[in-house]
Amino acid sequence: MSQMKSRSGIELKDFFQRADGTDEKPGEFPYTRGRRAKTSGTWIQRELSGEGPPSRSNEQFRYLIEHGSNGLDVIGDAATVAGIDPDHPIAQISCGTQGVALCRKQDVVELFKNIPLDQVSISCSLNPLSTVACVALAAKEYGFPLEKLRGSIIQAPLYAESCCYATNLPTDYRIKMTLDTIEYATKHMPKYHSYIEDTYFFSESGIDGVEEMALGFLQIRFLTRKLIERGLDIDSFAPRIAILVNCSMDFFEEIAKIRATRRIFANMMRDEFGAKDPRSHGVVVTSHTSGLSLTAQQPVNNIIRGSIQAMALALGGVQAMEVSAFDEAFRTPSPESHMIGLRTQQIVALESKAAQVADPLGGSHYVEYLTDQMEERIVNRVHQLEAMGDADELEKRGVFEQIFQDAMAKQQRDVSKGHEPLVGVNCHTIPEEEDTLLRDVAERKITPYHAFVEEIVEWKKARDMDKVRDSLKRFAETIEEDQNVVEATQNCLNEGVTFGELKGTARQVFGLEYDSYGMVEPILEKVA
Amino acid sequence: MEREHFLIGTMGLDQHENGAVSVRGILEEAQMRVTYAGRFNTPETISHKAREAGVDVIGISCHSWEYIDMIPELLERLKEDDLNLPVVIGGSVITASDAKKMKELGVSAIFNGSPSDDEIIDTLRDLARQKRSAETQN
Repeated sequence: MSQMKSRSGIELKDFFQRADGTDEKPGEFPYTRGRRAKTSGTWIQRELSGEGPPSRSNEQFRYLIEHGSNGLDVIGDAATVAGIDPDHPIAQISCGTQGVALCRKQDVVELFKNIPLDQVSISCSLNPLSTVACVALAAKEYGFPLEKLRGSIIQAPLYAESCCYATNLPTDYRIKMTLDTIEYATKHMPKYHSYIEDTYFFSESGIDGVEEMALGFLQIRFLTRKLIERGLDIDSFAPRIAILVNCSMDFFEEIAKIRATRRIFANMMRDEFGAKDPRSHGVVVTSHTSGLSLTAQQPVNNIIRGSIQAMALALGGVQAMEVSAFDEAFRTPSPESHMIGLRTQQIVALESKAAQVADPLGGSHYVEYLTDQMEERIVNRVHQLEAMGDADELEKRGVFEQIFQDAMAKQQRDVSKGHEPLVGVNCHTIPEEEDTLLRDVAERKITPYHAFVEEIVEWKKARDMDKVRDSLKRFAETIEEDQNVVEATQNCLNEGVTFGELKGTARQVFGLEYDSYGMVEPILEKVA
Repeated sequence: MEREHFLIGTMGLDQHENGAVSVRGILEEAQMRVTYAGRFNTPETISHKAREAGVDVIGISCHSWEYIDMIPELLERLKEDDLNLPVVIGGSVITASDAKKMKELGVSAIFNGSPSDDEIIDTLRDLARQKRSAETQN
């Protein structure tokens, strides 16, 4: 391979350090400067996708892959995320408008038709049981061995209910879904990141970078202890933990946050949890650029924000990236914003070459100072939170919900009072009638997919209900006996059970009403 | 005079709550009374919560297109329940043409740009006072 050179022909190395070589190198513990001494110069490029029924979403996936995407971030529509079937009375008006509508095995199979699951990394913004069921059932259908699948499972049992991923399932069951899926994936899907700590979605409440990572580490530590209690060896699952962080407009702090995150993780895994495998120390960091930083005013400005944030992520050395769509304030990404998001990543990677040298900002007085400060503040905040009680108890007491709601109110006040400049909103504004550039694209609506609702209604009528009831009964017993519920879930889907019915039945096991809206009758009268 | 009282929340399955929580904060800071309805409301639950709390105005934050169906249903439900309350909606998803339609259907005020805190406070306070004064006259 030819020697890397700058535009003027200056010879470059894989990384740079002080002349005496005494400072930390990329690829060395504690991995502040990155997991590898040599970077590939790029990362897994994905964009948020999912719209309408599975067939429409599959078209979106193939469009993205054709244009250079090598990862997918699948978002369910509002009902699918909440574990509600498309034919539920409250779900019909939004079917497929904010993501893909899914509830059956054949939906999952259709969703991933002709997608090379052994090459494209799949992340799903769904509860972990649904994610594992989706990828595992599709892989089995298309003949991809589970051990070759790549992607990540979002595990957010402590924060999902408070911020955008609420399922109305009890905390203890959400924790069980997490532990069961990590255990299953560790054994059967060794290339899959069985646990991605997603600090992105809850930091969209407006919490700062220290709070974001402190809450992230709080959950990692809580779940790690639970997995060890289950008898899992730390080195069996720690290498498959990844962290998905937010990237706001605070350019240097975001780079420092990523560097500090790698260092904190490495020290914590080695010194507190006794991990010996170096792969357990060097954590994969992925990121989405911040949707919260985007504005409805002058949507074209959001393309610039996305580019700046993508550059910060490239310099921070992330392993995967997603650029939030410029039309985020209005809708899930349009085809135009998909293309712009991907092209942003490609231009940063290929033309700017910002990531061709590992940790190019390492050694900068400013960045090293910020990194040290972020590390110290994040660690202190984790200890402060842990001193308040067990993390699951804090969740049940509403501590996290209060943190997020306080942040939402503060963020808005900061913008409205002009404490934080937001171009086009609280400074450099233009009259509404002049704000037309790309607005037609941003305001284009997605019509609810009523035909898909009808399809689900008819399909449910034609199912073999004995099989549905029998498999759901076994599923309920599995939860009651505290056995791993992953295979029972897949069995249910194979027998014609839906995601909504799995959720409702799980609620019954915990003594709750089958449907949190009281609009749908349960499949099983009794579960005990 | 008793403080103006508002019901603030979101409807449907959309889980984005930033707008509703922000408005609650703005109103409370202005010494107004807020009953927070939270997420996942239906026309029935909003009507029920409004009656229980005895509010002057209902404010719904919209972040998905569900509002296009749900707001007319809410207006209908309030009529059926004999609740003569102004309804205000806000959110970046509300386009200018949809805002016009919502106004025609009977929505009292719409925030779809970037209103200042004062605009939100003044509009909601005026609506609350108008509602109270109409009640006194009746």
